[in-house]
Amino acid sequence: MRLRVPYLDWPLFFATAGLILMGLLTVYSATSIPGAHQGLWVKQLAWCAIAFGAAWVIVAVHYRLYDSLAWPLYGISLVLLVAVLAIGSSKLGAKRWIELGPLQFQPSELAKLATTFVLARYFDNARLDLTQPRWWLPPLFIALVPFALVAKEPDLGTGLSFPAMLIAMYFWAGMPMGRLLLGLSPVFNVALFFVTGSVWWFVGLFIAMIALARPKLQMLLIVVALNGVVAVELPHLWNHLHDYQKRRIETFINPDNDPYGAGYQIIQSKIAIGSGGVMGKGYLKGSQKALSFLPMRHTDFIYSVVGEELGFLGALTVVLLYVVVILRGYRLAAVARDGFAGLMAIGVVTAMFFTIMVNMLMTVGWAPVTGVPLPFLSYGGTALVVNCIQIGLLQNVALRRREY
Amino acid sequence: MPSGPPRRIKDDRFNVLAALTLAGFLLVVMGLLRLQVVQHDELSRLSEQNRVRLDVLRAPRGAIRDRFGRLLADNQPSFDIIFRPMPAESTTRVRSVIHSEWIARVAALLEDDTLDVRRRVLEANRTGQTAVLRRNSPYAVMAAVEESRSDLPGLDVQVAPIRRYPEGTLGAQLLGYAGEINDQELSDREDDGYRLGDLIGKTGVERRYEDLLRGTDGAEFVVVNAMGKRVSTLHEGPPRPPVPGHDVTLTIDLDIQRMMEETMADVDRGAAVAIDPRDGSILGMVSRPNFDPNEFSRGISFARWKELNEDGSNPLLNRAIQSAYPPGSTFKVVAMLAALRFGLVTADTHMPVSCNGGFNFGGRRAACWDKHGHGSVDLLTALQFSCDVYFYQLGLRLGLDKIQSTARALGMGEKTGIDLPAESRGLIPTDAYYDRHFKSGHWPRGVLLNLGIGQGELLATPLQLALMTSIVSNGGTPVRPHVVKAIADDPGFKLEKPLEPGISTTPEAWAAVHEAMQRVVDKGTALAARVPGIAVAGKTGTAQNPHGKDHAVFVCYAPADHPTIAMAWIAENSGHGGVVCAPMAARVLRRALLGDSTQIAVRAAARRDSLAAADSTEAAD
Repeated sequence: MRLRVPYLDWPLFFATAGLILMGLLTVYSATSIPGAHQGLWVKQLAWCAIAFGAAWVIVAVHYRLYDSLAWPLYGISLVLLVAVLAIGSSKLGAKRWIELGPLQFQPSELAKLATTFVLARYFDNARLDLTQPRWWLPPLFIALVPFALVAKEPDLGTGLSFPAMLIAMYFWAGMPMGRLLLGLSPVFNVALFFVTGSVWWFVGLFIAMIALARPKLQMLLIVVALNGVVAVELPHLWNHLHDYQKRRIETFINPDNDPYGAGYQIIQSKIAIGSGGVMGKGYLKGSQKALSFLPMRHTDFIYSVVGEELGFLGALTVVLLYVVVILRGYRLAAVARDGFAGLMAIGVVTAMFFTIMVNMLMTVGWAPVTGVPLPFLSYGGTALVVNCIQIGLLQNVALRRREY
Repeated sequence: MPSGPPRRIKDDRFNVLAALTLAGFLLVVMGLLRLQVVQHDELSRLSEQNRVRLDVLRAPRGAIRDRFGRLLADNQPSFDIIFRPMPAESTTRVRSVIHSEWIARVAALLEDDTLDVRRRVLEANRTGQTAVLRRNSPYAVMAAVEESRSDLPGLDVQVAPIRRYPEGTLGAQLLGYAGEINDQELSDREDDGYRLGDLIGKTGVERRYEDLLRGTDGAEFVVVNAMGKRVSTLHEGPPRPPVPGHDVTLTIDLDIQRMMEETMADVDRGAAVAIDPRDGSILGMVSRPNFDPNEFSRGISFARWKELNEDGSNPLLNRAIQSAYPPGSTFKVVAMLAALRFGLVTADTHMPVSCNGGFNFGGRRAACWDKHGHGSVDLLTALQFSCDVYFYQLGLRLGLDKIQSTARALGMGEKTGIDLPAESRGLIPTDAYYDRHFKSGHWPRGVLLNLGIGQGELLATPLQLALMTSIVSNGGTPVRPHVVKAIADDPGFKLEKPLEPGISTTPEAWAAVHEAMQRVVDKGTALAARVPGIAVAGKTGTAQNPHGKDHAVFVCYAPADHPTIAMAWIAENSGHGGVVCAPMAARVLRRALLGDSTQIAVRAAARRDSLAAADSTEAAD
């Protein structure tokens, strides 16, 4: 079919293109030091072409196709997630990839898209009543199954984008805020337990939340029961973990406990960014010495290179470009022609927003090291293709918003 | 028509999401401002003049001591020459480091091969990890390196603890040794936080108690100057102090162990075990030949490693628990006990066929070791002189099941559960075993003849023989053999339950066995095991060995009335147990029970006291 190019969302298009360009330049700079990764930017350039082609195909097909293919795609992605646990190749202790000849493929990326489609399809229903458990329980399972499989790889950073997406879509589909917060209470429960080591903090918070939200009795009972199970079982479960499992969780919560690995990277990243100052050291002039020993300076820690060489102004430019992408994405959800398109846009944008936050906050030292790449900037072919496909889906919504 | 909620509601929801988005990115911007404006000067300094390095603070491994606190293993510093790769930003420096002149000078300093140095330096530059160029270097090399460090960027001296075994070869297989972790162990135990260059227990106590001995390494960030010299620590990450490993106290008595080693010094291959039969504490454990574990700590050369492993007599093998031998006539104790407990005989039972130097069975003649014969003897006399003809008939009368169940109750045929790795099970044949080796259900009764005198398929480790002797000596109470007595700061440590059931039978049966074993030493085949002033009980053995001269075997316990030590001795290919092993056992018993000549009076007094105490407890019962 012919694309009505003028209807594309141009701010979104140019912001994306700007980010990809910055990514290419930074990968070039990060790999310009003699070493194993020299010349990777050429490969990244080739991937740009592929990613653009993929996005074009995604835009060309009407999103109704994604609607109808949602469940089969979801099924396939679950099979692949199980397969990756069984046969996937491991890197740095995690099994995240399936090798396809020379390519590596992360099933968690497909699962993110497929789960978005399924949830959008589910929520796009005239009879939907999110005050009833029989309506709000199924999507919880739809999102938690891929979450659990991805978290097991272990790739908690990517895994958590499933609940993030789900929460945004609950909200968009009309679940009242108070209820949503109450529903999230087991999450606060776990988080508070790990931070404070006691369940009593949460008990106080929980009572305050109930007083504010005043849920129906049925809802109240479910939430109380859920939190009760979590509160009673969690310390029990914790004490039964092996020492090395506890250590992993503790390192995840607090990377300073692991100064050999994650803590070292964080400190190097902070030095790189901080030494860049407001103006930066100049493109290709990054002298952050220790950072050159970081194996991930062109992937997970690429934002440190931007911060060092281009300074606060360069880093801020990247932030502004992301703000355009995310806000345009949410805006498209609001103007979408139908429920499915809006919900799909919400899911896609939230997943991307979450990934950006996890990576950027890690780079500035405010979030644990989780091995999540920065969309459009980090080196990595499949990630770039997937990110362009996500943009393609948003453009697809933009293109057809005026179809009658 | 567009579906879904009205436009106004959608706008409200968009506003919420937009606010969250802006809040998120604002957080990032605040993070950037903190680093790039607030902390800019400090971080710039770190980046420009200095750099940060992570130094591992090695945790000292726990010490190993004997039961009285005398040192058996601790740590000493090793001065390692290391290469720290230079930061890659200064490419000129990287080139200068791998320059052939640098390599040649370093190789000359370290008295090492240029190619080898080059390979390790390149590897370190590639991975960014520190490379150890020479471990435990002598003082002269260290001094030379210190002098020329300023012209040789990247080179450094690092102190790391290595293991020291002050007693050298003493108890080598029991203690085991700790050495640098190898690739296989590293990939198996990565989850436990092991890293390249770590020490890990390889054998013996060092391996079995690795988790407790090891401790937890600490770490600190240090700021170093361009030459790699330490300037200060970094306040960003406070140092994490190392947690030392737990000290381990063994049940070993260094005096007994040393005396056992001395008496075994002339034995080419063999083993001896001494147990306290009251609780299963191992008092001494020797395996010959032995090795010096210090060789492994210092970093053993591949050639020496091969030599140790390929030596036919295998000094690394702990024969006391890993080698199984035919028990020979020492097994007659088991046969005697089995016959008594199942009521087949009493102390004064005579067998139908008296000993004339041999026994005819199934058309063949089975010889007695004494070809002059013992005549018609009762059970006690048969054990005293180890009459084979008597025990052939006893074996036939007992049958396989009663023999094997009694042996198992005494801890044979299964692992004893001692807290040392790689223990052997030995072999006590069962019906199923013979069914596999002969036609099912049709195995010849002749095997019982052999079992009665401890030959045939039977195999037992020296530890199992010592355990058997312990249980016999203490009247059937099972004990768990163990080498660790206590672990410092670990209140959770407790003795595990015995695996074997032990034996319960009549006091008359026990009296007969004890009387017979005492007669073996007093006026039987083990006269050489007598100790003046101490009643010793024992049993000799001479295990036939298809590959050469017989193995000498001896088991004993003392004092006979209140045993505090039980032992098993095996000397491979050296003849009769009563001739070879009994005198060695006597020397150790003398030392263990009477002490040094200077200490005899003290110990004897102590012993009188403990006996008196024991008597009074019995009286109270």
